[in-house]
Amino acid sequence: MATVELTGLSKAYGDVQAITGLDLAIGDGEFFVVLGPSGAGKTTTLKSVAGLVEVDDGDVVIAGRSMRGVEPYHRNVAMAFESYALYPQKTVFDNLASPLRSGRTGRYSAADQQQRIDAVTTTLGINHLLRRFPRELSNGQRQRVALGRVLVRPADVYLLDEPLSHLDAKLRAQMRAELKQLGEMSRTTSLYVTHDYQEALALGDRIAVLRAGRLVQVGTPHEIWRTPVDSFVAKALGQPEINLLEAEVADGRLRAAGGAVDLPAPRHLDLAGGRARLGFRPRDLGLLRAGSTAPVGDVVLRGRVGLAERLGRLMEFSVDVGGHDVIVVADSDAGAREGDVVDLHVPLTDVHVFAAGPAGEDTVRLGGAAVREPAQERS
Amino acid sequence: MAKELKPGQRRVTAGSVVADLMIVAWFVFSLFPLLWMLLLALKNDADQTSTYFAFSPTFDNFVTVLSQRGQDLTSVDFGQAMWTSVLNCVGAVLVSLVVGVPAAYAAGRWKYRGSENLMFQMLSFRFAPELMVIVPLFVIYNTLGIFDTKVGMVWVLQLVTMPLVVWILRSYFQDLSPELEQAALLDGYTRIRAFLTVALPLVRPGIAASALLAFIFAWNNYVFPLILTDSAATTVTVAVTKFLGGGGQAYYNLTAAAALLGALPPLVLALTIQRYLVRGLSFGAVKA
Amino acid sequence: MTTTVGGRRPTEETPPGGARAGAPPRIPDWRRKARPYLLSVPAVLLIIGILYAFFYGVYYTVLDYAATNPDPQFVGVANYREVLGDPLFWRSAGTTLLYAVLATGAETVLGVAIALLLNRSSLIGKTFERLLILPLMIAPVIAGVIWKLMFNPQFGVLNHVFGLGSTFDWLSRDRALFSVVLVDVWIYTPFVAILVLAGIRSLPQEPFEASDVDGASWFYMFRRLMLPMMWPYILVAVIFRFMDCLKVFDSVYVLTQGGPGVTTTTLQISAFQDSITNLNYSRGSTYMFLLWIIVFITARYLVGVLGKAQRRAAGAGV
Repeated sequence: MATVELTGLSKAYGDVQAITGLDLAIGDGEFFVVLGPSGAGKTTTLKSVAGLVEVDDGDVVIAGRSMRGVEPYHRNVAMAFESYALYPQKTVFDNLASPLRSGRTGRYSAADQQQRIDAVTTTLGINHLLRRFPRELSNGQRQRVALGRVLVRPADVYLLDEPLSHLDAKLRAQMRAELKQLGEMSRTTSLYVTHDYQEALALGDRIAVLRAGRLVQVGTPHEIWRTPVDSFVAKALGQPEINLLEAEVADGRLRAAGGAVDLPAPRHLDLAGGRARLGFRPRDLGLLRAGSTAPVGDVVLRGRVGLAERLGRLMEFSVDVGGHDVIVVADSDAGAREGDVVDLHVPLTDVHVFAAGPAGEDTVRLGGAAVREPAQERS
Repeated sequence: MAKELKPGQRRVTAGSVVADLMIVAWFVFSLFPLLWMLLLALKNDADQTSTYFAFSPTFDNFVTVLSQRGQDLTSVDFGQAMWTSVLNCVGAVLVSLVVGVPAAYAAGRWKYRGSENLMFQMLSFRFAPELMVIVPLFVIYNTLGIFDTKVGMVWVLQLVTMPLVVWILRSYFQDLSPELEQAALLDGYTRIRAFLTVALPLVRPGIAASALLAFIFAWNNYVFPLILTDSAATTVTVAVTKFLGGGGQAYYNLTAAAALLGALPPLVLALTIQRYLVRGLSFGAVKA
Repeated sequence: MTTTVGGRRPTEETPPGGARAGAPPRIPDWRRKARPYLLSVPAVLLIIGILYAFFYGVYYTVLDYAATNPDPQFVGVANYREVLGDPLFWRSAGTTLLYAVLATGAETVLGVAIALLLNRSSLIGKTFERLLILPLMIAPVIAGVIWKLMFNPQFGVLNHVFGLGSTFDWLSRDRALFSVVLVDVWIYTPFVAILVLAGIRSLPQEPFEASDVDGASWFYMFRRLMLPMMWPYILVAVIFRFMDCLKVFDSVYVLTQGGPGVTTTTLQISAFQDSITNLNYSRGSTYMFLLWIIVFITARYLVGVLGKAQRRAAGAGV
């Protein structure tokens, strides 16, 4: 029941700048995801909100109140640590009861405590573990207890540091689906840190992408996915990664991969220097069936299938297009086999155009190769 | 070697017999003096010089050491000295814990200016020659009127007990994830309560190990009581040596009995806390 | 797992307590920064008390303070000139160094050997392992008493057991130093053995198993694998032993009082005789301060060596 604002937040550990000038405004009750690779400053951001790290500069404002100089136990925030941080000398029950017994999260009779703990452990499916000690639990169970210690108490803000990272794939998918629908989650402002873009897209009301301690982009999952601010964000979202090809403008055309990719140069974009970088998401590309033609407005890439890998219903193809590997994820009934020459097609609106830049460096996104009509909008 | 590293893979070979013999040889060397002391302590005055291994045992010597006669021989009340040692060492360890636990926690948790200097200073006490401070302390103690008192002993024994407590406990605090206390802070506990309810219980083995080890080393200290006490606060180590020069006549059996009495408390303690001793002996440098 | 909690959601209501009432209390920056210092204050005060005595001792070294001279005057470096020009000082320093090298060397070799033997975990080894520590826990001065009784030429058990008669003197001019070293070895070899044994047991097993599969010889494995990985543990033990030997007093004092002659007079015994026996405080303090400097420099150097070895072993351990 609180907004959270970070203004110009900076923190360095010795010579290492963990976060630099971070500005974020999180709405009341919002489920806000912070996404970034390891070392991006995600955990430092959470701990700054909690008051566990002393920031060098900037301020954290919770519910309109500056938290400068406010001790963690006066901030009324709850946090699930990536390392779980369960008290090894206490049982699961006592771990969960710990926030209820401090007197700072409210007053609870023994019966109240019991009731809350029962409710949370039922939700998380851990009520058979109450008498165990943390050392007797699997990592996945520990993670759920750590989550339970957050959910069991009311707080202005929930801070969740990779709370699903140690669950196995199946449980993670299941928890991801249910986490957001938890009553308490949906009402309490939550800051959720993850390196997993799927979690971010699935859970976040909004997502902030961090890189090397700096904010790269904030937006709804849709915005982040459709209009990544630069190639870093585009690469961070999606597995396999977005395909990037260097392109040049000539005669009103934008060509890449030695001419194997050839599309009309988008007039609404300013391609300075006549060069650009094209991005195709593996899922946006389609394999053209023999005999059929690409839809109008699609660009076609011809190439030879180098590798075909089955991922279940889908297949991942590595296609050599003019000497560059392009990854495509398509239905397995597409019929292409290794060595086949195939045509790939992608709507111009799904072709991302980035500014040109030195190899290995991320550049800003200029826009789509064609302007998306409102009617075409997919969600 | 590698074969022997794996448990359950032992064969009797010429090599293993030789190895066992070498172990036995060491322990004969290591334990014989203690055994001999026990034998000597059980001999009567006649047997002590006339026989080596065959005699009729008696416990009289232990009684004598603790009795008025022992006091007449050495001018030291041995029982009183043992009790003084107990009080001195308990006092010194308690002071070290009260003072040292917060310092160890600060040094283990924060990197602050001077913390490394403080720790090195502590370590240097461990290696400093005692006499460097004893001579001035002798003068200072006389000025302050704490010469030959337990208070004086408790203070000077800090040189022995403090470095142990601080160094061992710092290594335990460093091993403890700070996120546990952070979790407690977010649960709504103040820093003091987080320390008392989360950190402190988890370093209990360290506290036990450092306290007992500090007790043992304080008990075994000889130079400090030798110089800074006279008769009123004499400790057991000084008292034992008094039997050696027992007025012309040699009382080997009494000396042995006194030595055994003085050695017994550390031996018993050591056997009970052996599990934690390694880390303590090396000031936390070797973790077992 | 259900998405709602049995009709009652755990965090439905705002906390009934005063958690939200009023602005949260703020703690100023300086108080936050002062925390570790505050925690260290008692320890620092105690240290200052002891350091005061230490510096007082250093102060003595520039005076001519003795029991016979209760009104000392400043004499500059006269004490240092006297002590450094005194053959006895150099003799004591030599004796101390010899003692330290002999004792530390013997204890290291024996301690490592015992650790390796006990690591085989034979039945006999396991039986005795618990008793390994016993000599180490006895007060060195009491250990000295015990061995003095055993060394006794007439009634001591050693001459009887070894058939040396009643004239063989373990603490004679020629043998005294070796005998006091022997007592040191008896007390402190377990120290080395215990540390090294703990070190061996904490080594990763994989490299040994791998080279066992490769058919490497025992000696090769010991030299190439075990020794480099054990080195930091051995060094810790060696450092502790060497430093302690430099200031040895208790066991030697009770065995020989530094004699016969000055054959076992170590630096600390020398200083003891000057300041306590002869009550020449300034001279004794000068001895001690010089020893302290030696100890301090040696400590800094050895700790540096240890750091290097630990880094190297961390590399070898992978």
